[in-house]
Amino acid sequence: MALIAIIDDDPDILDASSLVLKSKGYDVMTANNPNDGYKIVKEKKPDLIILDVMMDEPDDGFYLAQKFRKEGIKIPILMYTSVSKAIGLDFGKSEMVPVDDFVEKPISPEELIQKVEKLMNIKEAK
Amino acid sequence: MNPQKGNILIVDDEKGLRLGTQRLLEEEGYVVSAAENGTEGLRYGTQNEYDVAVIDLKMPDIDGLDVLKEIKRVHPNTVCFIATAFASYDTAVQSTRLGAFGYIQKPFSTEEFIYQIEQGIKQRNLILAAERLAIEREQNLLELASEKSRLNAIIKSISEGVLVININGEVGYYNYAALKLLNITNINIGENILGNLPSQIVELVEKIYSSDKILLKSFTTEFVSNKGDELYIEAACTPIPQPDGSLAGVVIILSNITEYRRIEIIKNQFVSMVAHELKTPLAAVQGSLNIILDKSITLTEEKEEDYIKRSTYRLKSLTDLVNDLLDISRMELKTKQREIVNVHIENVIASTLQMLELEISKKHLTINKKIQKDLPVIKADINEITRIVTNLLSNAIKYNREKGEIIIEVTCTSNFLSLKIQDTGVGMKPDEKVKLFTEFYRAKNEKTRGINGTGLGLSIVKRIVDSYYGRIDVESEFGVGSTFLINLPINHN
Repeated sequence: MALIAIIDDDPDILDASSLVLKSKGYDVMTANNPNDGYKIVKEKKPDLIILDVMMDEPDDGFYLAQKFRKEGIKIPILMYTSVSKAIGLDFGKSEMVPVDDFVEKPISPEELIQKVEKLMNIKEAK
Repeated sequence: MNPQKGNILIVDDEKGLRLGTQRLLEEEGYVVSAAENGTEGLRYGTQNEYDVAVIDLKMPDIDGLDVLKEIKRVHPNTVCFIATAFASYDTAVQSTRLGAFGYIQKPFSTEEFIYQIEQGIKQRNLILAAERLAIEREQNLLELASEKSRLNAIIKSISEGVLVININGEVGYYNYAALKLLNITNINIGENILGNLPSQIVELVEKIYSSDKILLKSFTTEFVSNKGDELYIEAACTPIPQPDGSLAGVVIILSNITEYRRIEIIKNQFVSMVAHELKTPLAAVQGSLNIILDKSITLTEEKEEDYIKRSTYRLKSLTDLVNDLLDISRMELKTKQREIVNVHIENVIASTLQMLELEISKKHLTINKKIQKDLPVIKADINEITRIVTNLLSNAIKYNREKGEIIIEVTCTSNFLSLKIQDTGVGMKPDEKVKLFTEFYRAKNEKTRGINGTGLGLSIVKRIVDSYYGRIDVESEFGVGSTFLINLPINHN
């Protein structure tokens, strides 16, 4: 079964997201800061990365995504955002933000699963 | 006799004529001085200012024309007549050229003589009136000039830029601030300036010039002036109407709004930080509730209770955050009236420790109090002082290690009360220390994970300390502990 890495500093979000994905049969590993997130991705090579946009510093999720892409890690990234959209930062996929899709918090289990499955299907098709 | 009628000088070497005219004039109410020769006449006429002088042309010592010349030189407003029996066209011309008002032909009748003197007095009054007017006018002009220069000095010294241009785009007036804000080194009055102005201003000016009727209102625009630092400039263009209603030109007022812009940015950042901080716990709670409600996910009863507990906890921290934000807002708006009372800091510390007793014992912390005896009271709002002590102590507990220590020390000098709170906790890295009092800043590193807070506690402490003109300092070593030192002024009244 596919392995998903969730990187978010909010333990409740990590827990809820894990539960939702595990209920669909995915294997899940978590990290609560960008450094640990980077480590687990490098070590375990997951099939999908779920990454929070803001952890220790505003935007550090962006930087981690950029770092992965710079190092040739092409694993699809689903980004958790919080208020960015609401305050008008409606960013799409770009070189600055090299992620594949966004999920706005609060996370609805349905939307999360739907987006995860979509990215997994694209990956398999490749 | 009316002494106000006039002062007359008679200069004549012929005694009979001199005394006769003197008597005649005195009877008419004039005050008369009589000089018996040119030398005496010259002395009288220059030492005193007479209204009218009658000078004999031919005198043995000094010529009447020389006496006339000298009197006119010293007192140009004395009306002078030349009296002579030897009238010639040349002497008449010469004497008028030297400033004589008239010519009295000898011998003369008394009526004729009186009439001439009266004419002279009239002339004298006209001259004096004209002189008064001239002086008044000169004074008015001086006032006007100083008024103008005063206005000029005012406009030149204000920090807003002022630039006046006519309908041809030529400069009619400007001040130095305008040069600075437009980033132009030199402007000449009368020069066409439109080519040197930012396009935003030119656009407005053209809009005003091309409109059919003059709208007496300002049109504003903004532009960025680059001179080292970026300056945000607001330009307000107002039409200047002529008395006939046509357009004379435009006055442009330039203001530096860089500081407002900076504040606006800080405010926007603050608002988005607040939004983020509010949304984070809400998202967590909603995420947990979504899972509980989702029928496709089966939860054990235990797990379900765990989610509800976590949600309650997150909501509690959300409430704390809202309360902190309200405190900050109250401080900013100054809506809350302070209740200044005598505060005994040792009592505040004791009651705060009591309130935090549970947290202290959970972590098995040792409290070490070193409080100086006979501390003075401070005049302050007890809630604010309690807030300082509570926030510092709860940080000292939260960031402390298990079985750590907290040292509370209070001392005083003649002017300050010092409160020192030292912990044996995680401490701070130098770059974390710098950002410590910033709203929502929380030191995030491997040692602080799992410690909750709003990120507003120290920022509130600093605001309160600042409002009492106090001082807060912090010393810290990463992994060893932090010491917060607060100095509050003692009010001696």
